[in-house]
Amino acid sequence: MREKLQIIAKGPWAYWVGAIVLAILNILVLVVRQEPWGITTNIEEWSVWLAGKLGLTGNPDLTLKELLLSDGTYLNLGVILGAFWATVVASQARFRPLKNKKFAVSALFGGIMMGFGARIAYGCNIGLVLNGIASSSLAGWIFTIAVFLGAWLGGKILLRYLL
Amino acid sequence: MLKKSQSSLNLGFSIFILLFLIFLLQLSTKLALIFALSLALGYTLQKSRFCFVAAFRDPLLVGTTKISQAVILLLIISIPAFFLVFQIASNLHLPIELNVTPFGFHTFLGGLLFGTGMVLAGGCASGTLMRVGEGFAMQMIALGGLIIGAFLGNSSLPYILNIFHEFPGVFLPDIMGWVPAISIQLLVLILLWLGIRKWQKSKRT
Amino acid sequence: MTTYYLDIWGEMCPIPIIKTQRKFKQMASGDVLILETEHSCTSRALVVWAQENGHKYVEKEVSNGIWRIELTKK
Repeated sequence: MREKLQIIAKGPWAYWVGAIVLAILNILVLVVRQEPWGITTNIEEWSVWLAGKLGLTGNPDLTLKELLLSDGTYLNLGVILGAFWATVVASQARFRPLKNKKFAVSALFGGIMMGFGARIAYGCNIGLVLNGIASSSLAGWIFTIAVFLGAWLGGKILLRYLL
Repeated sequence: MLKKSQSSLNLGFSIFILLFLIFLLQLSTKLALIFALSLALGYTLQKSRFCFVAAFRDPLLVGTTKISQAVILLLIISIPAFFLVFQIASNLHLPIELNVTPFGFHTFLGGLLFGTGMVLAGGCASGTLMRVGEGFAMQMIALGGLIIGAFLGNSSLPYILNIFHEFPGVFLPDIMGWVPAISIQLLVLILLWLGIRKWQKSKRT
Repeated sequence: MTTYYLDIWGEMCPIPIIKTQRKFKQMASGDVLILETEHSCTSRALVVWAQENGHKYVEKEVSNGIWRIELTKK
């Protein structure tokens, strides 16, 4: 019993255990939220609000109060804090600095490409790959094939410039 | 460098989370429930080292497929479960919405960009959030990029919709019925799983 | 029997695994490769890769969130 508790706290869990737990939690999110789990829609709302504050666009559609009361904000915040909690429980928390500038550039451009791609396709790996396919939507399957091809392309770039 | 226990940090953080949950409960039960569930999601993602990027990238790049198999298992569970939740909610006349989004060539283009970007950034949207929580500086930069990119995508979407034609969302059960739609999707996933296992055996060195 | 070290500090997946695979090609059977990483996912991925390919491994958390992995080539 004690050993089992140790594994729950310390990990790592097998990948298939993670898959089953994630599936259950994802369904519970659907039940409570009455729509599936998504990440980038909320990030987009924050980005538009931020751009409005910086004077890059006119007036944003959403106010800060609406954003702070939106369930998407708490979904994203919860994933960050939950992952932090998981590392603290196992006494593995530490700041992990960058290796060099190359990785910073790669992260920045990778992030921009991800954000742009996710918003013109209306979803990310969670919203379209996982929950798009789970919702039996054709868009989810199209996006998944494209992500696979993109990952192959990204792998080529990575081998060429980052290795 | 010996391993130090971080139990006092753990205690402090747990109290903070508990207080925050109580605060959210005052606001609305739904927000508190959602926050608790997403904490569990983040915890599970970190503990099982779940990574959607690896699922897409590793079969071709390094020849390991354990995570890809886990993602397929996740989908195989989710399709019938979503169907059940949807049916029960419809029968009880509760509002529920599934992710059936409109699509077009920009869906494909977006997926291509997203796939390339996630390999370069070292994490997809959920992976980036999880690794920010783990304390990686690289994914903190990637999250900044994600926010910039989301804004760029948001402001260029009207032009993109002008170039590419957009079709309304296709809900597969609408065009072929529930039973065939679910069985075909499950069949595709199972074939993919078998194919991936074969691929892994051929890659063993 | 030789012991090799490989620097994968601070590198994200999949670079450490590709580097390990390349190093393994130069190593003889029974040689040991020692790696240290602060990425939880990388440490896990290396262990899973070793399991799948039948190499022996020892994974140890040497400090808070730092793992040391010893791989012995099959």
